[in-house]
Amino acid sequence: MQPKPYDPDHKIDLDKNTCPNREQRANGTNVYYGKATQLIEDAKAGKTKCFDRELQQTSGCVLNFYLTVRVSTIRDAAIIYHGPLGCSSSSLGYREIFRSVPPELGRPQNFELNWITTNLQQSDVVYGASQKLKNAVLEAQKRYDPKAIFILTTCTSGVIGEDIEGAVNEIQPEVKAKIVPVHCEGVRSRLVQTGYDAFWHGVLKYLVKKPEKIQKDLVNVASMLSYTWQDRLEIKRLLGKVGLRVNFIPEFASVNQLEELSEAAVTAPLCPTYTDYLSRGLKQEFDVPYFLYPSPVGIKNTEAWLRQIGKYTGKEEEIEALIKEENKIWAPKLKSIRERLLNYRGDGKRLEVLGSLGQGRLLSQIPYFDELGLSSSAGLPQDFDNLILEDIENMVEDIGDFDILVSTFQAAEQGHITRNRDPDITLTCPFQGGAYKREKSVTRLHALRGDPDPWSTQSGYAGAIAFGEFILQSLENKAFENTMKEKTADSYKDSWYEQPNPLKYVDRESSK
Amino acid sequence: MIKRKQIAIYGKGGVGKSTTTSNLSAALSDIGYTVMQVGCDPKNDSTNSLRGGKPIPTVMDTLRSGSNDFEQIIHEGYNGIFCVEAGGPEPGVGCAGRGIIAAIELLDNNGIIDDYDPDIVIYDVLGDVVCGGFAIPIRQGLAEQIYTVTSSDYMAIYAVNNLFKGILKYSGSGGGLLGGIIGNSIKSLAEKEMIEDFSNKTDSEVIQYVPRSPTVTKCELEGKTTIEGDPDSDQAEVYRELARKVINNQKKFIPKPFDVDALNDWGSTWVSRILLHQKTSSQGIQDDGSGV
Repeated sequence: MQPKPYDPDHKIDLDKNTCPNREQRANGTNVYYGKATQLIEDAKAGKTKCFDRELQQTSGCVLNFYLTVRVSTIRDAAIIYHGPLGCSSSSLGYREIFRSVPPELGRPQNFELNWITTNLQQSDVVYGASQKLKNAVLEAQKRYDPKAIFILTTCTSGVIGEDIEGAVNEIQPEVKAKIVPVHCEGVRSRLVQTGYDAFWHGVLKYLVKKPEKIQKDLVNVASMLSYTWQDRLEIKRLLGKVGLRVNFIPEFASVNQLEELSEAAVTAPLCPTYTDYLSRGLKQEFDVPYFLYPSPVGIKNTEAWLRQIGKYTGKEEEIEALIKEENKIWAPKLKSIRERLLNYRGDGKRLEVLGSLGQGRLLSQIPYFDELGLSSSAGLPQDFDNLILEDIENMVEDIGDFDILVSTFQAAEQGHITRNRDPDITLTCPFQGGAYKREKSVTRLHALRGDPDPWSTQSGYAGAIAFGEFILQSLENKAFENTMKEKTADSYKDSWYEQPNPLKYVDRESSK
Repeated sequence: MIKRKQIAIYGKGGVGKSTTTSNLSAALSDIGYTVMQVGCDPKNDSTNSLRGGKPIPTVMDTLRSGSNDFEQIIHEGYNGIFCVEAGGPEPGVGCAGRGIIAAIELLDNNGIIDDYDPDIVIYDVLGDVVCGGFAIPIRQGLAEQIYTVTSSDYMAIYAVNNLFKGILKYSGSGGGLLGGIIGNSIKSLAEKEMIEDFSNKTDSEVIQYVPRSPTVTKCELEGKTTIEGDPDSDQAEVYRELARKVINNQKKFIPKPFDVDALNDWGSTWVSRILLHQKTSSQGIQDDGSGV
């Protein structure tokens, strides 16, 4: 019996209602502990798969790992949750996440949440609720007069087998807005990336229009929530200098921006794992070129990223001039940070950094750590699939092997790994810092889109410097670590750290 | 290369649906078509008689094991027929409907059917369309035609009537439409007439009558279809005729199901007729009384 062959050029099928899940499309896994080279080999052989955990503390679901808050930002659209009330609740975090971005920095003045839930009840589950869904669509049209209505499905609608497409076909002629069903029911997949694939599937299938003209100066940039508002500004600044416009999606994009994705000169990545489905789809359906590596993190990769864009937009010369100009300003600053970090220990050895890196950040961050003069012998991604295999292979060739510890952000596992590897700097996911109590540096790997502070920049030249400064700062000032250690108890008992296996609670029998 | 035809066959449990489906698959395969048969019933025995009576691992078994090895779910049966069983939970637990949804999603979204590229795909689905899951093959034209197997048993026809309600419901939103009724286990003219009358009254059509035959049971016990086990029998010819009809049938009906009371009234008149018929044939009495 042959495992599914690794096919980096697989087609996506927009005739279907939705995408395959990441487990099936790309042999995604939620647990792995080993060398990158070994993981690459296993992934190619189709050996990676998901396992159950007997202790699982932190996770998101396909619907609610920020898909909701992000779709909510599309200003001239409305969003309908077809499920019980609770499924939609995390979208209410939308205002919390984005309100600290001042409108002066480009956050739209109109900040309302165009939000409806069908609030499914017992009888809806028993009798089906497609009429309720159709009523919600009519209500959304009446209330918000949007250009698009996104229907986000839930476990409940999925389990009862609600005929979403049937309802959409019936009600679409009655409403002006384009209805976009997104099949993001939580039970579909345990890899949250499936939700984003499902979103892009809906966008590609229902919203993106045939190009009327090619906009040679338009660059599609889809990004994760973990790239901050300043990253947006930095990318806009750089591409603006050579006369290119950025089509930022999905945060605060208009429906029209989604429709004209097909007219762009290129789709450029900030995160390959997040953008892959959209990029493939735009190429396959509308011949929009794309690349998935590198992302604009660190000066070296920012320049490589700019050059790729230059190639697809016919702006090679302008980009070279831009690189020359910017490099002159920023490279000395990076050099100074690098020297300080290289000399920090005073024993000739590099500082060791351990980061909670998503799959995309593995690719962007590890070369950047190297550029900063840090040593990063391991990364802790939330999941891993075979979509980035070639790029990660190239990277290993470039900077050498390292450990990949796929842990789905399990705080207990990460705490264990952190304690045992004892790096000089630990970079956590922004919501997990409290799980680690240590004397050495601990800080967040990244802020979220809603953080408008310049020191949270990570992309481009400004980001390469701001993040370097941020790392230095985390080494200089230990007040946070000391206070945390003194005032709060450790989250886990000593016995957890004393036993040797961070993956103790992974049920190996759960997958064969 | 013909355009792929996808059909679904529904019928009440025990009515001979899987037997008919497997014989149809075997007959189509003999004619020269490549066939995929997908069993959509948690008891996963649809394709047994194509596989020497032995069950195969199901799609849900594969999903449950966490494996992405899709080759585990397709098993070749008689004459190279691709056999698939959706699978599902043990009786009394879990959600069988979700099992069907998950299995069909896996087959459909991952291009597995395209990879094997059969000329015809037959979904063999548990009869009463009890929930959304069992309606999946009807919806959005996954199957372009729906067939139903029924005997003259009132409860089997009752299930057909329910299926018609399902087809009618999804007919406005691109669902699959009725290809025809297959009358099974026919022992008498009266039984045939009953099914015929039902089809007339519901604006549908009977595509084939399959007589009751011990040959079928005999072959079944040997783990074979009649096509395989007794290819020269009259019964095998009936299945081959059915296969030819199904392949050529382009008809799509939107059936008009009875409401429950009307079906009850209709049923009682027919049940009395059939009982009378049985009495006359077993006791040698003629029902018009003239010969006594």
